[in-house]
Amino acid sequence: MVIAMMTWVGTMVFSLLLGTLLCYKVEKSGVKRWGANGKLFKYK
Amino acid sequence: MVWYVTVFCFYIIFLIWANVKSLKTAESVDDYTTGGHRMGLLLGIGTTAATWVSVASVVGVPGYLYSSGVAAVIGWVAGWCFGGGLIPIVAYKIRRPEKPARTFPEYIRHRFEPFQKKSTLQAIVGILMFIGYLLLVNIQVTGFGIVFSSITGIDYKLAIFGFLLFILITSVGGFWSVAATDTLNTILITVGVLLASGVIWSLTGGLGNIVETLATTTAPTIEGGPPLEEGILLSPLGTFGLGALFSIFISNSLGTPSSPHWVTRMLAPKNVKVAIMQVMGTILVLIFIMGPLIIIGLGAKVLIPSIPAGKTTDYIIPLVIQEFTPPIIGGITLVAICAAAISTANSMLLHCATSLYYDVYLNISSKRISDRKFKNWLRLSIFAIAAVAVVLAIKPPWFLAMGFVYIYGGFGAAFFLVVILGLYWKRMNRAGAYAGITIGAVVYVVAKAMGYTVPFVIAVAASLIGVLIAVYSTKKAPLEAYEPYFKAEISDATRRVLNDVRNSSHEESQVKAGQSKIG
Repeated sequence: MVIAMMTWVGTMVFSLLLGTLLCYKVEKSGVKRWGANGKLFKYK
Repeated sequence: MVWYVTVFCFYIIFLIWANVKSLKTAESVDDYTTGGHRMGLLLGIGTTAATWVSVASVVGVPGYLYSSGVAAVIGWVAGWCFGGGLIPIVAYKIRRPEKPARTFPEYIRHRFEPFQKKSTLQAIVGILMFIGYLLLVNIQVTGFGIVFSSITGIDYKLAIFGFLLFILITSVGGFWSVAATDTLNTILITVGVLLASGVIWSLTGGLGNIVETLATTTAPTIEGGPPLEEGILLSPLGTFGLGALFSIFISNSLGTPSSPHWVTRMLAPKNVKVAIMQVMGTILVLIFIMGPLIIIGLGAKVLIPSIPAGKTTDYIIPLVIQEFTPPIIGGITLVAICAAAISTANSMLLHCATSLYYDVYLNISSKRISDRKFKNWLRLSIFAIAAVAVVLAIKPPWFLAMGFVYIYGGFGAAFFLVVILGLYWKRMNRAGAYAGITIGAVVYVVAKAMGYTVPFVIAVAASLIGVLIAVYSTKKAPLEAYEPYFKAEISDATRRVLNDVRNSSHEESQVKAGQSKIG
């Protein structure tokens, strides 16, 4: 049970970290059309 | 029964209201297929979560939790979550162009056959998509039929025809209609499974009692069947074995980011960052759906040790809810399950009809038609395909969750390399795409038919070899093919080629200035 639940939690953590890294790369690109606006998770 | 029908009536009224409202929003072909590439974050999370949560999740997965134990968490819940985590890798590149493709096959055309007047590759991908989504819609119809017949007492074979009514209501407005109803469906599904899991938690005495029962029970899954091995329901491999569980996990995970409907979803947000955050938000929302489903699936073993003979494990959720939850909670939960079927099916029907009409018919015939005609034909196609899916569901061919694994595996085998290499490897070219798609699809079907445990791995390995040979024995891809996915600013030549592709199959209408930003 613990292994199964930890596998799920592990995939969630991986997904959130990968998403954060890609948001960071969008910010680093500085391209406004792609969503770069100065803050990592600001989307408007 | 009265409560179930009352909740259902409220649900139908909402669907009609949302669709009439969204009809006013859908204006152009872009609006109809991908929401005009201007979807905001909140609506994006709502529609992504609802599409993600299908009957395979809310009916099929608890069925496998009930019969095979916690291993189903690894195979499906973690598998889909890992695959979902990979979707932003696709989103990061595919949403870059100023004018992205409208459909998945059109992206394939932009990337690999930008100079062709009639794209054979776009048509092949369209046909493969049509087959895959027809089967996926068929799964949703089956799940809908199981739940709808349980609620109303109507025979399953008649209940599945009720599905057509919902498709008629939800598909008239195209992508915006799908997205608007999906967002409410997500709320409904979340509330429904949370309430039901609360009841199951209370009736079983909590997690301690559930785990204790799973550790000791030997009750057969179906009455009269073979007894289970003691403790197998808590084993990480469950009743699957290592090879089968690995195959399920890998098909669900690597099949997800290359499944056409997920790729198309990444074309809808207003920019790259929103596309990425949409997936991150969805993964957080899913905790509140998948967590309760795990409690319901495992807790069901405590409440109903064996399913009555003549029913499959796909019936466990309706059985538990009808027998053990108060009518109002049961009504909300069962309507939520129907909502999951409808919200996934309407999205898939849109992809299915678009691939057949836009990517195959209009592409090959080179006809130029107006936006209005395009939308009318698409609506008709959606309803016709839904009718075929309903007829095919009269005799359901497989268990819901496993059917998803097969089709996701097939999509992954055919499209995984083409999508990922197309977005991240400039050298990837037209010959590589033909080799990757045909070898991947054919080897997957053959390996599956021959009974191999890991057909997905075999197919992707064969496809990779074919792609490398094809790419290195032919010319590099032209600049116009890959530039939009690698550069922020594209050359005039590339811009011209992309405009030609977009305008080749229909006449673009003048989109009203100052379009509203929804979501």
